[in-house]
Amino acid sequence: MSENNTPSAAPVTQVADATVEPMGAPPSPLRETWDYFRKNRGAFAGLIVIAIILFLAVTAQWIAPYDPISQDRSAFLKPPIWMEGADPRYILGTDAVGRDILSRLIHGAQLSVSIGVVVVILSMVAGIVLGMVAGYFRGWIEVGIMRLMDIMLALPSLIMAMAIVAILGPGLENAMLAIAIVQLPHYVRLSRASVVSELNKEYVIASQIAGAGHMRQMFVNILPNCMAPLIVQGTLGISSAILDAAALGFLGLGAQPPLPEWGTMLAEAREFVGSAWWVITFPGLSILVTVLAFNLMGDGLRDALDPKMKR
Amino acid sequence: MALLEVKNLTVEFGSEDKPFRAVDSVSYSVDRGEVLGIVGESGSGKSVSSLAVMGLIDFPGRVTADSLTFDGQDLLGMSAKKRRQITGKDIAMIFQDPMSALNPCFTVEAQIMEALKVHEGGTKKQRRERTLDLLNQVGIPDPKSRMTAYPHQLSGGMSQRIVIAMAIACQPRLLIADEPTTALDVTIQAQIIDLLLKLQEDSDMGLLLITHDLALVSEAANRIQVMYAGQLFESGPADSIFAAPRHPYTQALLEALPERSEGHDRLRTIPGVVPGQYDRPAGCLLAPRCRYADDNCIKNRPDVTDFNGRDVRCFYPLNDQGQPTGQIDGQSTGGTV
Amino acid sequence: MSFLDTKPGIPLLESDDLVRHYDVNRGFGKPNATVKALDGVSFTLEAQKTLAVVGESGCGKSTLGRQLTLIEKPSAGGLKINGDAVGNLSDKEAKQFRRTVQMIFQNPYGSLNPRKKVGQILAEPVLLNMDQLGRKEREERVRDTMAKVGLRPEFYQRYPHMFSGGQRQRIAIARALILEPKVIVADEPVSALDVSVQAQVLNLMMDLQEEMNVAYVFISHDLSVVRHIADDVMVMYLGRVAEKGPTEEIFIKPLHPYTRALLASAPKIDPTQRVKAEPLTGELPSPINPPSGCAFHKRCPFATEECAKVRPELRNFEGREVACHRVEEIA
Repeated sequence: MSENNTPSAAPVTQVADATVEPMGAPPSPLRETWDYFRKNRGAFAGLIVIAIILFLAVTAQWIAPYDPISQDRSAFLKPPIWMEGADPRYILGTDAVGRDILSRLIHGAQLSVSIGVVVVILSMVAGIVLGMVAGYFRGWIEVGIMRLMDIMLALPSLIMAMAIVAILGPGLENAMLAIAIVQLPHYVRLSRASVVSELNKEYVIASQIAGAGHMRQMFVNILPNCMAPLIVQGTLGISSAILDAAALGFLGLGAQPPLPEWGTMLAEAREFVGSAWWVITFPGLSILVTVLAFNLMGDGLRDALDPKMKR
Repeated sequence: MALLEVKNLTVEFGSEDKPFRAVDSVSYSVDRGEVLGIVGESGSGKSVSSLAVMGLIDFPGRVTADSLTFDGQDLLGMSAKKRRQITGKDIAMIFQDPMSALNPCFTVEAQIMEALKVHEGGTKKQRRERTLDLLNQVGIPDPKSRMTAYPHQLSGGMSQRIVIAMAIACQPRLLIADEPTTALDVTIQAQIIDLLLKLQEDSDMGLLLITHDLALVSEAANRIQVMYAGQLFESGPADSIFAAPRHPYTQALLEALPERSEGHDRLRTIPGVVPGQYDRPAGCLLAPRCRYADDNCIKNRPDVTDFNGRDVRCFYPLNDQGQPTGQIDGQSTGGTV
Repeated sequence: MSFLDTKPGIPLLESDDLVRHYDVNRGFGKPNATVKALDGVSFTLEAQKTLAVVGESGCGKSTLGRQLTLIEKPSAGGLKINGDAVGNLSDKEAKQFRRTVQMIFQNPYGSLNPRKKVGQILAEPVLLNMDQLGRKEREERVRDTMAKVGLRPEFYQRYPHMFSGGQRQRIAIARALILEPKVIVADEPVSALDVSVQAQVLNLMMDLQEEMNVAYVFISHDLSVVRHIADDVMVMYLGRVAEKGPTEEIFIKPLHPYTRALLASAPKIDPTQRVKAEPLTGELPSPINPPSGCAFHKRCPFATEECAKVRPELRNFEGREVACHRVEEIA
């Protein structure tokens, strides 16, 4: 045996310094997710559209050419400027009471985005709490919560939303609350499933041995590991909230006129389907584009966050 | 001529300009009636190389080789369909986790008969008899009643026996076993290895046994290849490779085994970790962890050379006393081989 | 004197006929079955010693670990620490007891919270158990422990996914050590690691044992590792102890037929150490429906009629404890 062949019985710290080299740096999870996301063209396009809509929503007061509810009695049902007989002041034309459609759409973006975000936050917070409790404690608590959610899922969502609004009374706030309740089961089921699969992981047991209580286990240790699918569901939830809000608005149960909510705008324009197509087409297109953008982004996020979809 | 002949097999993943070599010019051959053991730590490329032989490397991976022949037929040159016929019938493979290798929706009988139907045909009755035969052959007690069992009703050892039965159903000439006993208990592991060796001997099959367990491979294999970070480091006959290792890595691995230590002494460790995708050394891949490494090893990559009848990838292969040869007093700068 | 102080002449940890049964739902319409995962296990562990628990899957070794760390309450039997029964402790004392028994898990990829930095993972036990410490002192303690297990200070801010298996296991060891426990239950701590890394971790555990006076309950199926690290070995089969005694004696002359079979089944590199023996036939029996009499009799080459009927109790033989009717004839 040569010198450098003596068994390594050196003090721990010395051995350690020699042994524990940092591994080469793999890309951080955030960076990796972003790289995958960017490669998905549809998702990226969705993100850009959403960014534009958000920008419009935030700056509506300054960008929109007119007040969304002020009426110009000299210009009823003017067509968009590329049509004959258009009024050059109104790019997308005016509606039956002489309001600028473009301005109403821009302000409508503000409403729709805030409906989507508020509904998803309400629904997600309540859903996560219920789902975590169900998945963490199991037993009769789980049975109670989950059966209730099953019952809610068994009812057609729009009919249930209508029923809730009928009880609470029509209006934007109540419509948002109703949609949040309708969306609740998705978040409950998703977070419960994630918790159940995380619960058996050894890091949870390790924290239990260290003395972590139920609250800490649920919300500090487990929750961050369940967020990926919930974020995806949340993104998709924004689009369905916008859609549901539009449907309720169309039925006269959501935002009340003269609020420039897209669904309400559609409802007001019903009678002009044949005569003035622009009154109904542009709000419809706005809903379509926004919902599509959120769906594309949601799908892209799911692909980027789901390890099974990665190479 | 050898049954399976692999020359300079390379498997790359990642982008074209900065590829990651999971397998780096590995050559080996398996003869009929021979057990070749491939041993290495995780990340050594031992599994990837066998998947490449089976043609199971999916798109982002790129497989190249100077030659890859099975029984004289060139596997790389032939059409994908023909290759599938060969790899399905003449080469069979079993994996570490028997539970995921079986379809949970079908009975044992249905799954084995399906494999027989594709490759052998015959009437349903013939196939059922053959299935019963196979189950007997792999030592399943009371095979008649086990035929109708679903995979979840079987233990790990039983499932692995079923997987083996499916693998030998078409009388393959080469069986690739990738960590076949890692998921099993010690006493069951001994049974499964005995079974594999018996089947291999009975039908004069070639057996490629891939494992991380040095002791297991030393008992089961005729010849052993030691792999590290995608490269072949040493190969030789089973009885001598561990008795007198020629490569410093083989030597260090053996010394790290508790089996080799006396009492409560500290074990000899290999400092550091196997290089990954982002930290491959420029010279010899072992250089940062090798106790004999010098400037030459850090700068240049050694090739596989013949040393006393053994293939060794090292500038300074070890002699019988376990000392490096060709190096000027152990630790100095570059020596010649 | 606190109940946590070591008392001369009294073992650090004492398990007295520990039993743990689980009820298993066997599906609709069938009665629930009882799995006797742990069926009367007694042992003592002295300070700074290592007791290895050896056995195959389903032998109850992991269940034992869960009882020792108080994650679960045993169905019957009791645990004593320094002579005091754990069941009689007040809540506050029970919390103190938890601190004295910590655990290292098999899979270093599952046992570290992927969304927490190393510093946060290590700080959690301190935060929960030593509320008198301020933020600064807590961080200092974490950094001290990291140094002890050979983790560099700059790793404090990194996430577990940036580490290799061996480094992760070091983090797990640091977490188990940070409360300065008396006992560490290590459940297969090296079986997920490569040979070269396994040696590093084993050395570290042995060094720490000397430095911190900790006793290990080392659960493993790898006999060569057990032989290297353990002072005493307890071989388990289907929730019961088959044989128990000093490590070297058991390895040199195993008495119970199951211990013999285990030793013979383990492959060895050195051809001279290989034992020529028929491998055990048969499967591990299901713990839901264990065989009558001696649980091992269906696989045992020495089994007689008595073995099928009467369950052998653990008894002294040649300075060891063996549960076998025929140990006198076999030995």
